[in-house]
Amino acid sequence: MAEPLLRVRDLAIEFDTQYGTVRAVDGVSFDVYPEETVGLVGESGCGKTVTGLSLLGLIPKPPGRIAAGSIEFGGRDLATASEEELRKIRGSEISMIFQEPMTALNPVFTIGNQMADVLARHKGLTNSQARTEAIEMLARVGIPSPARRVDEYPHQLSGGQRQRVMIAMALSCNPKLLIADEPTTALDVTTQAQVLEQINKLQEEFRMAVILITHDLGVVAETCQRAMVMYCGKVAEQAPIAELFAQPRHPYTAGLLSSIPRIREDRPEHLPIIAGRVPDLLHLPAGCRFAARCERALDRCQTEQPELGEQTASAACFNPVPL
Amino acid sequence: MSSPLLQVEELRKYFPIRGGLLRGVKAQVKAVDGVSLVLQPGQTYGLVGESGCGKSTLGRSIIRLYEPTAGKVILDGADITHLSRKEMLPYRERMQMIFQDPYASLSPRRTVSQTLREPLDIHNKGDRNTRDKRVRELLDVVGMSQRALNRYPHEFSGGQRQRIGIARALALNPRLIIADEPVSALDVSVQSQVLNLVADLQREHGIAFLFIAHDLAVIQHVSDRIGVMYLGKIVEATDSRTLYASPKHPYTRALLSAIPLPEPGRKRSRIVLGGDVPSPANPPSGCPFHPRCPDAMDRCRTEIPAPRELGTPAAPHEVSCHLYD
Amino acid sequence: MNTAAEVMEAEALSDAAAESLWTKGLYKFRRDRVGLWAFAVVLLYVGVALGVWLGFWATGWADLAGEKWEPVSSAHWFGTNIIGQDIFDRAIYSTKTSFEIGLVVAVLATALGGILGAIAGFFSGSWLDELILWLMGVLDSIPFLLFVAAIAYTLQGNPYSMHIAMVVTFWITAGRLVRGEVIKLKEMEYVDAAHALGVPEYTIIFRHILPNTSHILLVQATITFVAAIKSEVILSFLGLGVKDGMSWGLMIAESSQEVLAGFFNNFLSASVLLFGLVMAFNLFSDALQDALDPRTVSD
Repeated sequence: MAEPLLRVRDLAIEFDTQYGTVRAVDGVSFDVYPEETVGLVGESGCGKTVTGLSLLGLIPKPPGRIAAGSIEFGGRDLATASEEELRKIRGSEISMIFQEPMTALNPVFTIGNQMADVLARHKGLTNSQARTEAIEMLARVGIPSPARRVDEYPHQLSGGQRQRVMIAMALSCNPKLLIADEPTTALDVTTQAQVLEQINKLQEEFRMAVILITHDLGVVAETCQRAMVMYCGKVAEQAPIAELFAQPRHPYTAGLLSSIPRIREDRPEHLPIIAGRVPDLLHLPAGCRFAARCERALDRCQTEQPELGEQTASAACFNPVPL
Repeated sequence: MSSPLLQVEELRKYFPIRGGLLRGVKAQVKAVDGVSLVLQPGQTYGLVGESGCGKSTLGRSIIRLYEPTAGKVILDGADITHLSRKEMLPYRERMQMIFQDPYASLSPRRTVSQTLREPLDIHNKGDRNTRDKRVRELLDVVGMSQRALNRYPHEFSGGQRQRIGIARALALNPRLIIADEPVSALDVSVQSQVLNLVADLQREHGIAFLFIAHDLAVIQHVSDRIGVMYLGKIVEATDSRTLYASPKHPYTRALLSAIPLPEPGRKRSRIVLGGDVPSPANPPSGCPFHPRCPDAMDRCRTEIPAPRELGTPAAPHEVSCHLYD
Repeated sequence: MNTAAEVMEAEALSDAAAESLWTKGLYKFRRDRVGLWAFAVVLLYVGVALGVWLGFWATGWADLAGEKWEPVSSAHWFGTNIIGQDIFDRAIYSTKTSFEIGLVVAVLATALGGILGAIAGFFSGSWLDELILWLMGVLDSIPFLLFVAAIAYTLQGNPYSMHIAMVVTFWITAGRLVRGEVIKLKEMEYVDAAHALGVPEYTIIFRHILPNTSHILLVQATITFVAAIKSEVILSFLGLGVKDGMSWGLMIAESSQEVLAGFFNNFLSASVLLFGLVMAFNLFSDALQDALDPRTVSD
């Protein structure tokens, strides 16, 4: 097994809110190996986006901060790196694409301008060199008539095209790692299929690793080799894809998989549900955070917090779903 | 077969695009362009499509939030297309709506109790006591605690707010509820809770639903009949089992194959459509789907396909596609 | 990106009392030091004005209580003016005058602006909206002082001509703000829901939409209050303002001669008290705006 590209250990991220300090991410550890696609899955508020942002130091500093842990990448600890160092890495070694392409792209500059900006900064190209390369990148991400499009503004493109422009910008400097934060959530299903296919294709071409952050288990199943399920700031389960879907060990993962409406031959009267709601991060229970909603909860679960590997290597659970 | 609860005939909703110095009408956005459907009492009709297809506009035109440009809406045998606000009142009791955004569908400065009482007050249902009782009943039906009565919307989560919205829609005992993407904005684990509630309401109270969504899996779960919309028209309509078992229209097939399934390792030949979802302000000529259609023929560029009946009277299956002409 | 809100996502329905958006605003306000001090000062002024109105003090503001230009003493805390009237009493009495004008104008102008703005916004694009906008445009283009003079003349020296002129001019800002907000609010789904229920249009405007602009209206009312007081000072100075009674503006006007002669008490008392109220009210208004900002108060 090769050396991991990225090593996250015991990462903890806090936010100061008007009601007190909140730990959005509480002790998360994972590795990402070169050229693999890893999924970071969970519902809103579980901390997946915050985790992704923290890898590039993009957590807004006044209310938020990395409270503990390390992010090892290329021999450095990104958690303690200076803004200067981080800026050199962003866009060139690690790139990120976001959910809303309209807000990630600057509406008052042309596509070409924005791409050239990235290229000039990291590769030191001249204006005309950058423009040529931008057109090439646009073609590679499947934008028709790239020579014309390069001079257009973001609002002149459709949602799917904007997303592809963002991907083009993110890949223009051939990063080793791409963090994709809900890249297709805001897109229509047919456009989503296109963009995911594009990401898969480019990942092979550019030979990069991808961290795909999403709440859609279907997307994870089709694009990732491994996935981590997050709940309430912690990793609940981490496994290779086939295993995760065929035999989920953590009750949350199992509950999630069975409650998603799926196209079936005979549809059930009632969908199985996970009772209750995600706990308030300000009033976390003492033991396992999922205990209140868990059908398999033991006494132990109310007072102790499980870690990954308690009873089984892949899940953080005292009473995992049996095989 | 009892008489239909809702009949929509060739409904059209066009929005004018104004421009120029005198703000004359330059063009039309044909959001809904000739839609017909029938809904039986107690049935659920699922309307599915992507952004810009007009499904939301259709729902709102049926409930008269938008004024239809042409066509008819017939509720319980009565033509309600052009009734005045006063004349519409008795029909509003029979037809209600639930909305997509739980954070915008409840009035922020009104308590739950006030919000639920409003429909009863407007329609003069019984006296004060009866109304208060009914409000409590409604909270029970949607599975919420009585403690919610004096709270404000911002104190609830998305799923809870959606349930309050459903309670409000139920207040007047409607026969039909138009649900406009009611679970799209909710977390996955909460979606199933709300979908189960909708299924219960169908079964126990015999309420018919016009369920609008973009998620085919959700639609299949709740619908008896499904209509697939594309750029203002229904391109295929049949019962849900048939739609998934043997979809006929190329768009339906592409839509079905585009859904990412939580089943890794399953090899699928995916139909990936070229191009983007077109804008209803500038629809293509002929069949609206032809620029993206993998099976497009010459004819498709010039002729708009008429709906053809491919099924049986017992199990109708309508498709608008030249492949079946 | 909304990570803080993401974090606040799930709030359990606790045993705590129901929290309206006002309560949340109050909670926020109580943590604003400067705002609280400003509010305390404003309350002090209110107390003073109330006392005058109830006849507790400063009743003898017009009396010839002493000698010309007496200095500060225990009998006359601010000294006396050119004809021997007690400056302190006059300054205190003027507090009531200011509040009276400020409150009347603030309440009426804000109410008028709120109502017309809401109607214009709800029916935006229609003839009603165009009419109200036209009205706003016309009234806005008349120079304020000329307008007051014209009204004072027309009403033949009615003591309320100043109030009327102010209300008729100051409602416009509130009207524009509310109109803009209502145009946004009427697209909200809860308005659609009300339509779908059959709620009549005017009920929708006044029951669902206008209350959601109340934070804007409240802040605008405080701004109008200050504007009214300041306008009164100028008007009284020009002789177009307060006719019977006493105000800081009148005091400043009559003190202009005294200042030339080297006696500053009159001028200073009025100016300092005026400055104090305006400053405190402004700071209070800022704090109020921060506390009631729906983006930070609601989720």
